[in-house]
Amino acid sequence: MATDTDTARIEGFGEVSRVRGIIFEYLSLGASVLGIFALAVLLVYVTIDAFDLAGTSPLWLLTYFVTLVVPFLAFCLYSARDREVTRRAVTVAGGGLVAVAAVFTAIETFVGQIPRLNWQLAYLFVVVAPLTGYLVYMGARGRPGAVGFGLVGRLIGGAAIGLAFSVLFLVFDERLWFLAYTLGIVPGLFAYAYGQLRNSSTAVTAALPVSLVGVVLAVFVRDVLRTYPTTTFIYLWTLAIPIAAAGALVVNARGSRTAALAAGGVPLALAAVVGLFGRAIGLGVGGPNALLVIALAGVPVAVYLHRVFDVGEGVTGLGLPVLLVGGALAGALVVETFGIPTPNSWVSGTFLTEAPSRNARDAGLYPAIVGSVIIIAMVAVLSFVLGVATSVFLEEYTADSGVVGALTRLLQINIANLAAVPSVVYGLLGLGLFANLLGFGFGTAVTVSLTLSLLILPITIISAQEAIRSVPDDLRRGSDAMGATRWQTTKNVVLPEAFPGILTGTILALGRAIGETAPLIMVGAATTVFSAPSSLFSKFSAMPMQIYAWANFPQAEFRYGVVAAGVITLLTILVGMNGTAILLRNRAERGS
Amino acid sequence: MSNTESETQTETEASDSLITTDVETGSNGRSAPSNRTAVAARDLNVFYGDEQAIDDVTMEIPENRVTALIGPSGCGKSTFLRTINRMNDMIEVCRVEGDVEFGGKNVYDDDVDPVALRRKIGMVFQKPNPFPKSIRDNVAYGLKIQGFDGDVDERVEESLKGAALWDEVKDQLDSSGLDLSGGQQQRLCIARAIAPDPEVILMDEPTSALDPVAASKIEDLIDDLAEEYTVIIVTHNMQQAARISDRTAVFLTGGRLVEYDDTTKIFEDPEEQRVEDYITGKFG
Ligand SMILES: Nc1ncnc2c1ncn2[C@@H]1O[C@H](COP(=O)(O)OP(=O)(O)OP(=O)(O)O)[C@@H](O)[C@H]1O
Ligand SMILES: [Mg+2]
Repeated sequence: MATDTDTARIEGFGEVSRVRGIIFEYLSLGASVLGIFALAVLLVYVTIDAFDLAGTSPLWLLTYFVTLVVPFLAFCLYSARDREVTRRAVTVAGGGLVAVAAVFTAIETFVGQIPRLNWQLAYLFVVVAPLTGYLVYMGARGRPGAVGFGLVGRLIGGAAIGLAFSVLFLVFDERLWFLAYTLGIVPGLFAYAYGQLRNSSTAVTAALPVSLVGVVLAVFVRDVLRTYPTTTFIYLWTLAIPIAAAGALVVNARGSRTAALAAGGVPLALAAVVGLFGRAIGLGVGGPNALLVIALAGVPVAVYLHRVFDVGEGVTGLGLPVLLVGGALAGALVVETFGIPTPNSWVSGTFLTEAPSRNARDAGLYPAIVGSVIIIAMVAVLSFVLGVATSVFLEEYTADSGVVGALTRLLQINIANLAAVPSVVYGLLGLGLFANLLGFGFGTAVTVSLTLSLLILPITIISAQEAIRSVPDDLRRGSDAMGATRWQTTKNVVLPEAFPGILTGTILALGRAIGETAPLIMVGAATTVFSAPSSLFSKFSAMPMQIYAWANFPQAEFRYGVVAAGVITLLTILVGMNGTAILLRNRAERGS
Repeated sequence: MSNTESETQTETEASDSLITTDVETGSNGRSAPSNRTAVAARDLNVFYGDEQAIDDVTMEIPENRVTALIGPSGCGKSTFLRTINRMNDMIEVCRVEGDVEFGGKNVYDDDVDPVALRRKIGMVFQKPNPFPKSIRDNVAYGLKIQGFDGDVDERVEESLKGAALWDEVKDQLDSSGLDLSGGQQQRLCIARAIAPDPEVILMDEPTSALDPVAASKIEDLIDDLAEEYTVIIVTHNMQQAARISDRTAVFLTGGRLVEYDDTTKIFEDPEEQRVEDYITGKFG
């Protein structure tokens, strides 16, 4: 300890007591370690329950350990290319095996049975999981690892965003979107691009009004028009083509024209073929959602591939997805050939795609997942827009003194207090205001989203204000002195600088909104719905509500297996979403 | 200057070098003095709350010349500079009385839009404050917000050349302005200020945060700028004022303009004893 040596060195001048500091240090360390340990134990048990690991044969674990985990760890080591890391990894893996087995056996014989755990599982959680985390971290610092993880991230992230879009179109009218896009956004974009190319500021300024007129027009035309293209065509035209075009533009800006065509064209063609004809030619997949997923994952992957080959470093990392898929397939093959019993996992394809059921094995989370995704999307947009608008107004537009200043301060205090109001009270507010007074209905997506947005608004506002305040005044003065209006300064200088901070606050607040159940119960959200919502005003459920309902079921299978599977799904979606947002924020931070 | 030269020299030995530098460069820069006035202050009083920062100042600043404002700390130089482009409007406690004429019009008239005014008057601050954007976007900022219709890239190049920065950054226009050195950043800020082609450039101690080499580059630049622009510069560096300015205004504590004349006159033969004391470092 540094404090000890300090004391020793200054002995000649007498002692300075550090007892309180040291006590405090160890107390806080102990408290955080205890907290993390408790959380880890909980997560371990939830994971064991959700995947039915307790009933898994050690052979099954061994198979996948050899075909999937070991090659992956080897890849990380190869990427890290550091003897020291390799030595450490091997020591930990080997030594950990012996240590865990020994300690486990000792506890089992001398202390007592540890429920639903065997030493193989303990080894998995205590040694393999942290080791994997460490090696992923070290591997990502090498070129091949960074490339590999970048590729896998784009594949999974693109697919997830594609799925999220298809979920959103369950409740949002894709025909209206089609018209708004065709009549408003496309002409507006053309005006903007033309203005940029020809240096005509009239065309650039015209872009926004043109778009708005088009969107309004779309609302009127929606019910007049009788025939519409199929959903697949609508997705192709309004989403896949612009994304491919954007990808091509990115590659084009980096250089080659042919590469740009390929980067945009190949994923687009693939998406179009699978989307339009996939079912017909017997691929087994097809339709609008397949098109969305392929386009949204394919274009970023193609752009990324071009960059990796362009830079020419860490190209071997591109093999990572092959390694993972191959490992999983090989494992499955081995399990199949030798007839090794597979665990009966609660988290499974059907759990994610089926409706709830009385029978635990048939129960699914699909309607609740859809409900949660829609609510999250709406809350994110609403609270971000409202939060940014309010905080910009409070920070940049209101005066500090006089009547306005006093009012602002009053508002400020109120916002700070609102952040501390319990969520049940917000539920009551949502019930009275949105469900009753404004007539948005009990437990509908609109009511729930508005209530949750209101709930996290104070947090978003306060953190956005903090971010805006941290933008140096020098920059504002610099912009003002150039003859910028207040709005121009805010838009061009303040907001871009404050953006990462604003995003951080919104991410934290969203995390809270997703997990809330109390306000949902108050506004009358259903605990269980059996079909995915079809409009913003149909009955909704959300993942926490459904999990809560299952936890009260009399059957043990529900209370352990299904609830655990639900918790794992909820956590995965939450972590994935936060992770994406944090990555985006870091990128924005680096970009500015 | 001839009849008082000996007197000055005997009186103030310490200022010898000052005077010589001044004579060498201060007067040789530009052709016959223009009679036109770019900015004029008339009976100007500025208050921060109850405290007076500018006390009844009247002065005419000539067009296409470098005018230096010098004086001890807190005498109101920055305040005076800010009254010209109405940046004082941002300070809530600040109150301005009297007139500041720019282009024959009082900028404090009710029908003057301060935003439009600032588009005609560029400003460079003491601390370089480039925006966290690319070099190109920094220079093009004024053009963008003013809805400039011409060739932006050409104007960016011209401005960077005008700020003697082009050769150093022409290959990295897309990298961040914050990646430049302090001196380069300050020249970037000058390029940003001249890009929209203002009539007047205000500089508030533009070299005080820079090393001597970077500062001398900016001094050379200011000399060139005066060909096209009216430059008003605040500085604490006497040599600098003497080297680069045509006219010098000396403010003393309380915001009074004590003496305002040709730079040569101020540095060789000031009317006021207090000014001489200040210039030679006897107080201030
Ligand atoms: N924003 C402000 N609010 C209140 N008083 C101010 C403000 N800015 C300046 N003052 C006061 O006005 C007077 C003049 O300040 P100013 O900044 O103009 O001096 P200066 O000559 O530029 O000094 P320096 O050479 O140190 O920069 C000082 O007494 C200062 O305290
Ligand atoms: Mg100052």
